[in-house]
Amino acid sequence: MEIHAYEKFWLGAALLLIVGFIATVSYGAIGAGVEMIDDDGGTVDPQNLDQHPKFSDPGVYKSGPNEYDVYVIAKQFLFQPGTSEPIRVPANSTVTFHVTSADVIHGFEVVGTNANTMAIPGQISTFTVEVDGPQEYGLLCNEYCGSAHHAMEGTMKVVPEDEFNASATAGGA
Amino acid sequence: MSLEPETENTIREDVPDRPRGYVVGSAPDSIEREIGHDDFDPVGTLVLIFGYFLILVVMWVFMYFVEFLGRGMTVIG
Amino acid sequence: MATFVDRYAEEASVIKANLVVSFVALGIGAFFGLVQALHRTNYFRFIDSVDYYTVLTGHGVLLALVFTIFFLLGLFTWAVVQSLERPMPDIRLTWAWFGLTTTGATFVAIAILAGFMPSIDMSADVLYTFYAPLQAHPLFYVGLAMFIVGTWLAGADWFLAYRNWRGDNPDERIPLQTFMVLTTMLMWYLSTLGVAVSTVFFLIPWSFGIVETVNPLLTRTLFWFFGHPVVYFWLMPAYLMWYTVLPKLAGGRLFSDPLARVVFVLFLLLSTPVGIHHQYLDPGIAEGFKFIAMTNTMFLLLPSLLTAFTVVASVEHGARQRGGEGYLKWLGALPWRDPAFTGMALAGAMFAAGGFSGMINAGMNINYLIHNTLWVPGHFHLTVGTAVALTMMAGSYWLVPQLTGKRLYSRPIGLLQVVLWFVGMVLMSNAMHRAGLVGIPRRTAEPQYQSFDFTAVIGTVGELRAQIAIGGTLLFLSVVLFLFNILLSAFEEPIANPVDDRLPAPLSGASGSPLVLDDLRLWTGIAVVLVILAYTLPLAGIVGDAGFFGNVPGVPVWVSANAEAIVETLTEVIA
Repeated sequence: MEIHAYEKFWLGAALLLIVGFIATVSYGAIGAGVEMIDDDGGTVDPQNLDQHPKFSDPGVYKSGPNEYDVYVIAKQFLFQPGTSEPIRVPANSTVTFHVTSADVIHGFEVVGTNANTMAIPGQISTFTVEVDGPQEYGLLCNEYCGSAHHAMEGTMKVVPEDEFNASATAGGA
Repeated sequence: MSLEPETENTIREDVPDRPRGYVVGSAPDSIEREIGHDDFDPVGTLVLIFGYFLILVVMWVFMYFVEFLGRGMTVIG
Repeated sequence: MATFVDRYAEEASVIKANLVVSFVALGIGAFFGLVQALHRTNYFRFIDSVDYYTVLTGHGVLLALVFTIFFLLGLFTWAVVQSLERPMPDIRLTWAWFGLTTTGATFVAIAILAGFMPSIDMSADVLYTFYAPLQAHPLFYVGLAMFIVGTWLAGADWFLAYRNWRGDNPDERIPLQTFMVLTTMLMWYLSTLGVAVSTVFFLIPWSFGIVETVNPLLTRTLFWFFGHPVVYFWLMPAYLMWYTVLPKLAGGRLFSDPLARVVFVLFLLLSTPVGIHHQYLDPGIAEGFKFIAMTNTMFLLLPSLLTAFTVVASVEHGARQRGGEGYLKWLGALPWRDPAFTGMALAGAMFAAGGFSGMINAGMNINYLIHNTLWVPGHFHLTVGTAVALTMMAGSYWLVPQLTGKRLYSRPIGLLQVVLWFVGMVLMSNAMHRAGLVGIPRRTAEPQYQSFDFTAVIGTVGELRAQIAIGGTLLFLSVVLFLFNILLSAFEEPIANPVDDRLPAPLSGASGSPLVLDDLRLWTGIAVVLVILAYTLPLAGIVGDAGFFGNVPGVPVWVSANAEAIVETLTEVIA
């Protein structure tokens, strides 16, 4: 099969491009340490979230020195916590989110950041981020979840360490 | 019932009953020279596609390293 | 020499019927698009935000499934008949699949449009992706299943035509257009298995109440098993026209028939084992499987990048034959007055831009940046919304006269129409991409949130909204001009040569390519193996988590009282 020399050249360039893309993403995963949402979060019975040790009282839990777990339930059409009260975490800490849904598929996006996941009933999305200085972020649901989807929002407040006084058992921060 | 000006009439002698005006798909009518397989090197295509390649590489690097890795709260675990 | 309708009058009738369904859907879908563009930018509102999702579901289903696929059904029938140079085996079979697909599409449309009427206890406000446990009226899923089975019958019809031709031509290469149709359909059979299993085994019984619960991650994964290959199902008709019609419209010849075959084989192999790249941010799927999906996706760039070269080279060949010179000056020698050529060329140029944003979408971890933001509809309005839709409209200017024997009503209006689409889409799509980077989500009725604002780094959010509103309006005007032009063409007098329908032979013909390229059994076998490799373990894990039928009850969208109650409670919570 005869292929024109120019097209062979382009075939090579195209393959180089493809390999380059895969290499960049691999660098992001290994070099920069970006991890994907995966199956580590495990499963939960979406109809019995109130029997889960943490989702029964969702909120911020201290899990280690300067490390926090945040349990969030997404449901039509609010985040709990997040909507009626902000998610409060201390500045310069490591925060692990555990997000699930009580009804339909939702999204959980910290606006303007790379913290972004799907919330699927029965599954727990677990992901860890490094939080910098004090700032207020918007939260929104980025997957259509029903007729008032556009009203599903919230806030997350990164507060100075000394202002943060959540106790490990308080839940619902 | 037509918006075509009569001046654009390109009716060919050999094909009767063609519509007035520029006929869709009639570009072959204005062929000045037949270029065969062995006489054609798509150098213009090479220029265009190489430009596209450069745009892709520059935009990819910008999007990945500036827009993406430069943003806050990247998932690390 | 007479045109298509004079040689195959019955086939022309079926093809026209398909195009009528396609264009009716285009008109309604485009109107819904206008409503959305003005509503979510807050420029002009005459519906409740609750009804926005009915409009959005209608826009997605009518344009992405009905407009594109009925056009495909018509175009592929034309391509098979004219490249095999024989009528369909039994025109009753052809009408039968048209009837089944149209009935299915009508059921789906009724289920969706009923969402506007609260008095009717029916709705399908579940959007084009119909993710369970949001539950539509059963008519929606039943119509969808009928539509898919109809497309299977259409494929069987084309395979039958091919088999008959093969009986009379045992030693010839498969004609290129038929080759493209057959490989596309093989890809379609493989990929629609996902959505067929999802609707027939899970969603239909569940919507009728026969089973109580679903496994939402399973039905979602089965949707994307089909949901990515379907984009190639939209794209392959455009590729068929770019490879076999566009070179002629440019005054040239296809640069390489063998490479066109290679490209279609690659699409058959790689279109399906990639669907998980729509689920990069889903829980319950291990990162390794996501990486495999990404690798397959990135290699799927190859056939499109090769297409870019082959098609542009074929167009350049036309320009050179028409006297074009220089490195770039030849572009001026192209027949820019021809709306069929100009529309397809602009569609191809936009596809190059859409290719770039698609590369970002495909990048596994960079997906965090844009997942479910307005960037994504910005991307697919360049691909399906322009590369496919504009090619189909432009192609119609050349194709429809062959089916009716009547000239196009107005070439200048056609030219204005395709340029208007291009300009409108540049504005709208560019603004959508940028808005996505700001974090503005897709699929939402409101431009603002109560507790925070979006901040654009360059320009303002207001300017982005203006571009979306203006772009959307231009796109709607473009569709109106298109439909107007096609409709008025129907009143022209029939003539023998309404359009120049000759297709020249490729520069490099099929005879130079290896015979193995035409071995459809081999390629199908490899495609099946790749799908098994990519999907067995992820699906096993998902079923292992919650079983086939899961533990999540449905949340019907058609119980309107229920939705209103929820909104009321919510307002109280916020207050």
